[in-house]
Amino acid sequence: MKKTECVAMILAGGQGSRLGVLTKKIAKPAVPYGGKYRIIDFPLSNCINSGIETVGILTQYQPLELNDYVGSGKPWDLDRRGGGVHILPPYQKSKGGDWYKGTANAIYQNIPFIERYDPEYVLVLSGDHIYKMDYSAMIDHHKNAGSDCTIAVMEVPLEEAPRFGIMNVRDDDSIYEFEEKPAHPKSNLASMGIYVFSWDKLKKYLYQDEQNKASSNDFGKDVIPAMLADNQKMTVYRFNRYWKDVGTIESLWEANLDLLNPKEDLRLDSQDWVIYSRTHSFPPQYISPTSDVENSLVSDGCEVYGKLEYSILFENVTIEEGATVEYSLIMPGATVKKGAKVQYAIVAENVVVGENAVVGENPQEIGELDQWGIAVVGEGLRIGKNAVVKAKAMVDKNVKEGETI
Amino acid sequence: MRSNKLLGLIYANVHEDLIPELTSVRSMASLPFAGRYRLIDFSLSNLVNAGVTQVGIITKANYQSLMDHVGNGKAYDLDRKAGGLFILPPFSTADSDGKVYEGHLDALAGIITFLRRASQEYVVLCDSDVVSSLDLSLMMKQHKETKADFTIAYKHGRLPKNHKDIMVLERDGNRVTGISFPNESESVDYSLNITIVKRELLIELVEETKEKGYTSLSRHLLAHSLNRFQIYGYAVTGFAEVMDSTQSYFKLNKKMLESRSRKQLFCPERPIYTKTHDRMPTRYGLSCRVENSLIADGCRIEGTVKNSVIFRNVTIEQGAVVEDSIVMQGAVIEKNATVRYAILDKQAVVTQDVTAQGSAAKLLLAAKGERIE
Repeated sequence: MKKTECVAMILAGGQGSRLGVLTKKIAKPAVPYGGKYRIIDFPLSNCINSGIETVGILTQYQPLELNDYVGSGKPWDLDRRGGGVHILPPYQKSKGGDWYKGTANAIYQNIPFIERYDPEYVLVLSGDHIYKMDYSAMIDHHKNAGSDCTIAVMEVPLEEAPRFGIMNVRDDDSIYEFEEKPAHPKSNLASMGIYVFSWDKLKKYLYQDEQNKASSNDFGKDVIPAMLADNQKMTVYRFNRYWKDVGTIESLWEANLDLLNPKEDLRLDSQDWVIYSRTHSFPPQYISPTSDVENSLVSDGCEVYGKLEYSILFENVTIEEGATVEYSLIMPGATVKKGAKVQYAIVAENVVVGENAVVGENPQEIGELDQWGIAVVGEGLRIGKNAVVKAKAMVDKNVKEGETI
Repeated sequence: MRSNKLLGLIYANVHEDLIPELTSVRSMASLPFAGRYRLIDFSLSNLVNAGVTQVGIITKANYQSLMDHVGNGKAYDLDRKAGGLFILPPFSTADSDGKVYEGHLDALAGIITFLRRASQEYVVLCDSDVVSSLDLSLMMKQHKETKADFTIAYKHGRLPKNHKDIMVLERDGNRVTGISFPNESESVDYSLNITIVKRELLIELVEETKEKGYTSLSRHLLAHSLNRFQIYGYAVTGFAEVMDSTQSYFKLNKKMLESRSRKQLFCPERPIYTKTHDRMPTRYGLSCRVENSLIADGCRIEGTVKNSVIFRNVTIEQGAVVEDSIVMQGAVIEKNATVRYAILDKQAVVTQDVTAQGSAAKLLLAAKGERIE
């Protein structure tokens, strides 16, 4: 059997609490994206396109739908004889068991999984980023630099740097300092949460970190600083294409609407780096004579009778006659009834927006912008006739007829 | 035993002379339909929705696109260890003299080993040029209750007149009392060429008729067997259409623009399965105008589309107009080009500013990969 050079580990266990009702029942990586995808499609497709055929997915929060979605890994060609994709939840050992305490602990608990493949390198990924990246180029970079750890970074505007983990580097791109969300950043190189480690080194630091009772067992907070303190060779890998962390409602909404912006270079239509997903056999979409569709993305099984502008319809969405959807994401199976208006909103799966209801508000019609935000309606809920859902609302139960929230 | 009692057999190359332009590069079974399907998807879905787990596809010629489409049967859940999907190409024996079968009956002689090896008690024979959503388990139930030798699914309506081997049934209740082949008829019960029969009986009849040189199941065997066998009809009330010309293929595609037809054919209880692709959803541009059209995924629509069926990965550029047309996968309608009353086969291109226009009576046809300049 051919040797496994690199094993990828996808951190998919976070609760994603900032996505509110969208992650009430599903893990963040299983959140729908771009009309037909789930967030996890990106790291999984990047792996297979980069030639990495052994992937572990570390889950612990609401894993049911994610497990179901990943299945045998077939949609990504990750149903391999040796390797393939594995779901790795925390488990009981003879001396008890633990939840994953932190990102590093999650990998620590799965050392036996990685050791089965005896890889040279381990690639650590997040399950909540939208981007196309050739990991094999990053691994080559790691090898050529003779690094122990390589961290992917991208340049961000300096004023935004305090929101990120910032890498301070020497002229040769080797890292001398890592600052988590610095108030006065020295550089604008933000960590993308993508790491390549030489496995023998990582293993050593994982054991060491586990011994340290004071550690929070986190890569950014503990392992990376410990390796830096020991003068391990650490370098950055610069990335300058589309990348977005979709950990918040606003960023998820933005990353979706970016697909309608010809200036963004995510290019999901290009055939040289396909993003694979679990696809279905729904009938083609029907666009009726009463509709008015512009600048939108529409998926299989949709029926559009109303007005649609600057929005993304996921599979099997129905927009009835006289309804308007603008600047919104309507997730699979949802229905927007006659005369309803959905704007600047995320409507989750199987929601029904009743007749003449209004969901979300246009920022230009709100005096104070800090009052504005994306309105979100949670999975399977009913918004009654003539009900109003205000900007920034996070709806987690049915809204009665005529009610305003 | 987990296997179903019913074995599915689909005839892939049937009546191709009726739609010659579109079947010159493919089998009838792989003719694209309704934006993202191939005709065989409807037979296969009806079978698997009735719990059938073993299906043979009887092929004759041009079956490359068919094999590419069905693959190992995964899309239909027919990638199985026990049973599953079998492609059955023509089988040449020493005494067949290199000849390929002609009709439904002698085709079975070529796959007799497959029929013998199967373990199911019953066989359902399906033609691939029928677009239908029907509950075969109900048909099977009737077949058993009536203790019929043959049960033939039929539809009431206007006979697809170009068809040469569609039986018209006379009935007494469900019992078939007469079989004829009229040239034209406005209001009859005609066969959909979906037939249930016991496997053992079918094997017996194939062997018996082989010696007599019979080829047609309907004309040579069933039409003369009303006294010998109990033949019953099964009334299909849901969506079922048989195509008998390129014109009727066009009309049937456009029928899918009616909400009622879509609801009947794509009913949630009986999904229609097909090979899926990894293409992004369809993008509608700033200047597009779309009306009354069925559009598959992966398209880019910048121009005007009206009363049309658009398959996957079609590009309709700015200023282009597509009306009353069927545009197959990967076709490109360049800037300011116009397409009306046309069927554009896969990867056809209508170049900038060009008008490709047929009429309701005489459709314009562009062959696979053709450039209209």
